[in-house]
Amino acid sequence: MSSRVLPVFDLLLPSNLEEAVGLLSQHGDQAAVMAGGTDLLVGMKVGMSPAFILSLADIQGLDYVAFDAKHGLRIGAMATLSQVVDSKVVNDKYHALWYSAFTNGTPQTRNAGTVVGNILRASPAGDCCCAALAHGGSVLLQGPAGKREVDLDEFWLDYRKTARKPDEVAVELKLKAPEHGYGSGFAALTRSYQDLAKINAAARVIMDGKVCRKVRLAMGAVAPITLRLKEAEKVLTGQEVTDQLLEQMAAAVRKEVKPIDDVRSTAEYRREVAGVLAKRVVQDAIKSVAGPCPYSCFMGA
Amino acid sequence: MSDFKVIGQRVPKVDARRKVTGHQEYADDLRMPGMLYGKIVRCMEYAHAKVTKLDLSQAAKAPGVVKVLGPKDVTQKGYNSGVLDLMVPEPVGQMLGDIEDQLVFTDHVKFQGDAIAGIIATSEEAAERAAELIQVEYEPLPVYLTAEEAKKPDAVQFTPLKPGNLAFALPIQMFPDGAAYAWGDSEAGFAEADLIVEETFTLPKVKQCQMEPHTYVARYGDGGRLNCWTSTQMPKCIHNKLARLFELPMSRVHVIQTTVGGGFGCRLGMIAEPQVCAMAMAVQGKPVKVSLLREEDWLGSESRHPGKYKMKIGFKKDGTPISMDAHWISEGGGYYTHASGVQFTLGAWLAGTYKWTNFRFKGDRYYTNTTPCGAYRGYGNPQNNFAMEQLIDRALNQLGIDKVEWRKKWHKTVGDDGWCMGVTYASCGLDECLDKGAKAIGWEDKIKKYAKQTGSKRRGVGVAVMTHTSGAMPMLLEHTTCTVKINEDATAELIFSCSDLGTGAHTSLQQIGAETLGFPLEDVHVRAQDSDISGFDIGAHASRTLYVGGSAVIEACEDAKRQILERAATALEANQDDLVMENKKVFVKGSPDKSIDVATICYQGVYNWVMPDTGNWIGIPGQIQGYSSYFAKHNSPPWSACFVEVEVDTETGQVKVLDCVAASDVGKAIHPPSVEGQVEGGIQQGFGQSCMEAMIYDEKGLCLNNTFADYRMFGPSDMPKITNILVEEHDPFGPYGAKSAGEGGQVAPTGAIANAIYNALGIQFTEGPITPERILKAIKEKGLQA
Repeated sequence: MSSRVLPVFDLLLPSNLEEAVGLLSQHGDQAAVMAGGTDLLVGMKVGMSPAFILSLADIQGLDYVAFDAKHGLRIGAMATLSQVVDSKVVNDKYHALWYSAFTNGTPQTRNAGTVVGNILRASPAGDCCCAALAHGGSVLLQGPAGKREVDLDEFWLDYRKTARKPDEVAVELKLKAPEHGYGSGFAALTRSYQDLAKINAAARVIMDGKVCRKVRLAMGAVAPITLRLKEAEKVLTGQEVTDQLLEQMAAAVRKEVKPIDDVRSTAEYRREVAGVLAKRVVQDAIKSVAGPCPYSCFMGA
Repeated sequence: MSDFKVIGQRVPKVDARRKVTGHQEYADDLRMPGMLYGKIVRCMEYAHAKVTKLDLSQAAKAPGVVKVLGPKDVTQKGYNSGVLDLMVPEPVGQMLGDIEDQLVFTDHVKFQGDAIAGIIATSEEAAERAAELIQVEYEPLPVYLTAEEAKKPDAVQFTPLKPGNLAFALPIQMFPDGAAYAWGDSEAGFAEADLIVEETFTLPKVKQCQMEPHTYVARYGDGGRLNCWTSTQMPKCIHNKLARLFELPMSRVHVIQTTVGGGFGCRLGMIAEPQVCAMAMAVQGKPVKVSLLREEDWLGSESRHPGKYKMKIGFKKDGTPISMDAHWISEGGGYYTHASGVQFTLGAWLAGTYKWTNFRFKGDRYYTNTTPCGAYRGYGNPQNNFAMEQLIDRALNQLGIDKVEWRKKWHKTVGDDGWCMGVTYASCGLDECLDKGAKAIGWEDKIKKYAKQTGSKRRGVGVAVMTHTSGAMPMLLEHTTCTVKINEDATAELIFSCSDLGTGAHTSLQQIGAETLGFPLEDVHVRAQDSDISGFDIGAHASRTLYVGGSAVIEACEDAKRQILERAATALEANQDDLVMENKKVFVKGSPDKSIDVATICYQGVYNWVMPDTGNWIGIPGQIQGYSSYFAKHNSPPWSACFVEVEVDTETGQVKVLDCVAASDVGKAIHPPSVEGQVEGGIQQGFGQSCMEAMIYDEKGLCLNNTFADYRMFGPSDMPKITNILVEEHDPFGPYGAKSAGEGGQVAPTGAIANAIYNALGIQFTEGPITPERILKAIKEKGLQA
């Protein structure tokens, strides 16, 4: 049974990252780190009961979405989904991430929830997780011993488990800089608009004409963590992308995913549409190499 | 009828401003001195179990706890959360098998969420913490989720009163033809048929999803009075039922209806009032608030009836519907409650729609270990529509007959027997609905265009029609009282117990009152919601409030108006028949100078003195009050046709609704924006039932989706543009020609969207909801036509 009454906790409000790490060194095992709180507070109504909540709200300067051509995109721990949706550079260069943020949740949760929070939540259905994994990148963590970067490919260990240690703060998400021929796409299927994904997929391609030089293909809600579909990637890599090749890739995807039945969908359905979504996101990604963002019009500044 | 002054006007709803500015008070906003908080302890681990041990002692000692209550600490009287007992004479209730099989707190858990104990504490938090300290042990019993399982000879009996766990079947005493609602000879009809199609449809268990969770305050005190604040749809029935359950005279029970934050049937009858009032009686003098969590609301209040619907229909080559034979078997949940009602009305709607030469319907309802089923908008009609309208389309495809033309030809109409045999239809605008709707959606073009399609996106159009009811006369009691009190300044208070569930009912009734009195709308005020003040009304069900309540308002206002005219006749020394009342003046026809202000009459009625100089009274003494105790004369069914266009992604099974046209004959639309809102909301819920919604239980009978995150409905962004066509076919019995608009809007969309998907894919879906998962599976198994 849920509760309207939040469990008792101590609120920790560090004013800088060093202080945050210090507090986590003391209380990390019993503490939840809060950025937007859109997942944490819901969890606390249904049984989650951390003794401490460490809020990042008072730490200045974590709400950035910054890009440079050499290092790529950096999204600070407090940057909201709405900030990403309103970012011209994300809309121009990181189509999959932009669309994953655009379709994520509701306006209210996008205004509060953060992209880094979405990554840290490690839900296999996380839309930004899926897009970020396709783009490729890393999570910057700060702990007592200083900073370290963990590649996204190694960041999610299991269902809702990440490589972040209890005494570390996730400071930012870094996504690789686009290369020549770069394109990306994202898609999710939901029961209704504004719903958790029953399955999502994202692709990032680097094209050389019609030949796919490199590809990263990610899929969510088909395994305990968001998956890289490496077998399917192999089918495309170095090949001219044809309808027939995409069918071969889809077949590989269906072999690679490990979906289950739940209230949102069935394993059988997820396996079947996994191939369809993979094709669609690769096609979108290829289309976006030459053109603008293939998704809904950009409304930011 | 264009000379209405107030009726038909698009005035703001009476509750709109307060609601959109957040000022409207709901039950949860109530704060009272010394208020305590109750927690209903529910069995969440089992769907069927005996409580073998219940130790409340630790909970009783917890901080802030005032009292703990187990099954033996409250009244041992049984009750039935439904209200059939108040709607039919006792012998009929007995014939229908109505029983009181619910207890305030039970030691035989019959569904997940059944109430086993209560805790009263000084805060919600303290009550919740104490609930965690209750020690309870269960003996699990076998769980029955389907009728098949429940009816097995060795199944545990839910109640000795219902052998075989068969809660209800149409009684042979009422339906001598084999306990079936029937006419003609269906078997003989099939023998004559050129085409027979048959199918078993599966209907999902869906939830009303009203916004406001059930919340109550109760206080026993005030010289032995039980006060209950509740957002019920039926304040006067609750008044009566609480009095009986707690063995109090009705004068010692006070029901105050709080703002109803959405009803859709889920607040029909009692929900947690028995538990909350039992708590209040245990802590006399203190108000106790109980505010259900969403999942408690979900599990503990009634849902729509799911079930299996076997249907067989026979046609002649020319489309003559020669025979219908249907058998509905419902899985109705852990208690009796609405066991008879929905099972009967399913057949009634089936009987009421088309002119079957021979007809036969049976309806059974079994006990199952699921949330009890009760009322939900349409009361059996949406389930019926999903099956009937799809199966008819299957036959028409084989016969090569146009679906709009066939419906126009074979729907029942004026003079035919309605849903209740012997009560004939008095008005019917369905032909106009079908014509206008077909034109608006572009039916002919689209049917042709979509006949041959290739590619992965397939489009289709579908139509379905429905008839519903306006009140449940003559099957059920249809009685509403209204008092209209005319103030001394010639403004009016309408006093009644009619509920406004957010539907616009009070606005419409205010308009009817103003129109009848000839007063401006702003001079008429509605006062409802207090059992101490207003008289009887059976409650908001069966789409009756405007229809029956409106007639009561007319009668009461005419009574007041007659009194005004009588006094005016005396004052003007004229014949009453020669008087006209307009703009709050009464004058003699043809002599507008010979007049008296209505305000003068009303003022003098209240402030009436003997003048000292003359010794004469000024005017005629007595405050003017009109009164009506109105019993409905008919049930004036509304009609509607719904057209839907969809696009199905055949690679993912996803359905996009492209267009929807609803053409509704609601009689005179008293407040058109409310009617349109009802139609649109109905479409949303109808689409949800057919394509998205279902309560999912695991094999232990535990509900897997009891929150809005896990149970999804059509949201605003899932909806297409809706073309809302009102066909205002005057009804001779309805108030100012009005028929109902509350429930009907949900019915035809369920069949229309299913038929649109059928049209798009050539595959008919017999199991609801028609999810992408089911669509993709069916495409894989059956293939697509090129």
